[in-house]
Amino acid sequence: MNYETIVTTCTYCGCGCGLLLEVLDGKVVGTLPQKDHAINQGGLCIKGWNAHEFIYDEGRLKKPLLKKNGSLEEVSWEEAFDTVATRLKKIRDENGPDSIAGLTSARCTNEENYLFQKWMRAVIGTNNVDHCARL
Amino acid sequence: MRLKYSANVLPIRVMCSGRVSPHFILKAFQQGADGVLVAGCHIGECHYGKGNYITAKRVAVMKEMFQFIGLSPKRLRLEWIATSEGNKLAQVVSDFSQEVIQLGPSPLRRFKKTIQWEPTQKPADTLKVSP
Amino acid sequence: MGTHSEASGYLESVTVEDVMEKTREKMSKLLTEKEVSAILALKTSHGHPTPYLFLKPEELKEWVTDEAHRYPLTKILIKIARRHPDQVIGIPIRGCEERSLVELFKNNQLRMNRVKAIGIVCTQAQANYCRCDRPFPSQVEGGDLAKPVEDISDIEEVERLSEEERFHFWMRQFGKCIKCYGCRNICPACFCPTCTLEDGALVKPGGMPPEIPIFHLIKAYHMADRCIDCGLCEEACPMGIPVRRLYRKVKKSIKDLFKYIPGEKADEKGPLEFLGDGSYELPGGGK
Repeated sequence: MNYETIVTTCTYCGCGCGLLLEVLDGKVVGTLPQKDHAINQGGLCIKGWNAHEFIYDEGRLKKPLLKKNGSLEEVSWEEAFDTVATRLKKIRDENGPDSIAGLTSARCTNEENYLFQKWMRAVIGTNNVDHCARL
Repeated sequence: MRLKYSANVLPIRVMCSGRVSPHFILKAFQQGADGVLVAGCHIGECHYGKGNYITAKRVAVMKEMFQFIGLSPKRLRLEWIATSEGNKLAQVVSDFSQEVIQLGPSPLRRFKKTIQWEPTQKPADTLKVSP
Repeated sequence: MGTHSEASGYLESVTVEDVMEKTREKMSKLLTEKEVSAILALKTSHGHPTPYLFLKPEELKEWVTDEAHRYPLTKILIKIARRHPDQVIGIPIRGCEERSLVELFKNNQLRMNRVKAIGIVCTQAQANYCRCDRPFPSQVEGGDLAKPVEDISDIEEVERLSEEERFHFWMRQFGKCIKCYGCRNICPACFCPTCTLEDGALVKPGGMPPEIPIFHLIKAYHMADRCIDCGLCEEACPMGIPVRRLYRKVKKSIKDLFKYIPGEKADEKGPLEFLGDGSYELPGGGK
């Protein structure tokens, strides 16, 4: 029997409200607002109250998928990385870095989003990068 | 008996006044009703035993709430009318109708919401991935 | 701000740290003697007080009580108790939390023999802020009891307005609602698995603000004989709607009409929870 609450920040919009994720027996079961956070001061919007819902959703992909012969098939991570790297490099060399754009999601952590935009800007060399909440 | 009463009344028949949940009363006012009359059997004569006991308590709490919100509690009335008292029913309904007409239209109808946002298109179906 | 010594003088004047130490020892003892399997309380994590389930007495070194930031511990207790119904869990409670425990026992959400309550007091400043009429639980480990605050000036402020002004006031306030369900999610008296506020037939989904005033009046009626006046709802509303005022008024009406106060006795059912014996007469005969 284990219960704890983890202090974190909501990823959905640019406000960055303080959240507490409730973890019961190793599974995230709920969200509470952080009462002493300077920004939200104990309140949350409906997206914040349900920020834990997508974690265990059944629709989430567990393996990378690659389109072969017109339909998506499960492949290994190495094959996925190889295909993506080769083809992105080819597109960048042929058409210039600005022909590639990147789109991230509010359901990734803020650190992952930072990494993604850094990679787009430094490695690919474009600033066509956006976020589903326009962050 | 075929007695007449006011034509601006919409009767909703329930088996016992205890079935009238406070949700119904609230929903009626929200949809634009100017007054709600709950008529049940006399105390002690409920066909199901004790249904009307809870109605009295519910209506009391609703009236206090309406008073606080700014909705006149006179718009909600509770009357005990036996099945055989047809005259009384007609009288009560006409009186209540007159009273509500004098109070005027319900403030919920006059009030126009300043912020109203309706979704303009249906949300897209979630992407389905074929195996 | 009143001084502590004006209170009933429960024990000789002790410092706050002494009381905390005494409570900590008691909780430690409960854990070591296996009287409880765990204690649900606040712990400092990254500098913030957060709810945590203490399993070992050594962990209690990090226990804190933070009056300014209150969490709905009894609601969290329901979640844990549903998953582990056989464990006895200790919980340090203030006056308001004890009232919520009594209400939850009455509604069969928690079992009395599975919860061990340890009383802690609130300071007078906190009692004044919360306008609490009983800022201490029935049993405390020590410390001065704060004086209860009887203050209905917020209700009277609204009752002084005319009917039309009142309606405009409330519709303007309810119009701010963004339907975050914060007031419901954080309320210790709201435990229904299927909530009426999410029912599409009664409250039309979509649209901002939600259908008012039915949205807030449904919750006010549902909590009529369960609201313990803890004030968490108003703290959780991101738009600052004075919902607590409405619930306090309904609570006052229940007290005036039925002589019933939620959270006082564990064996007394709320007036809207049972049909009754017909002895209640509507004041004014229903007109």
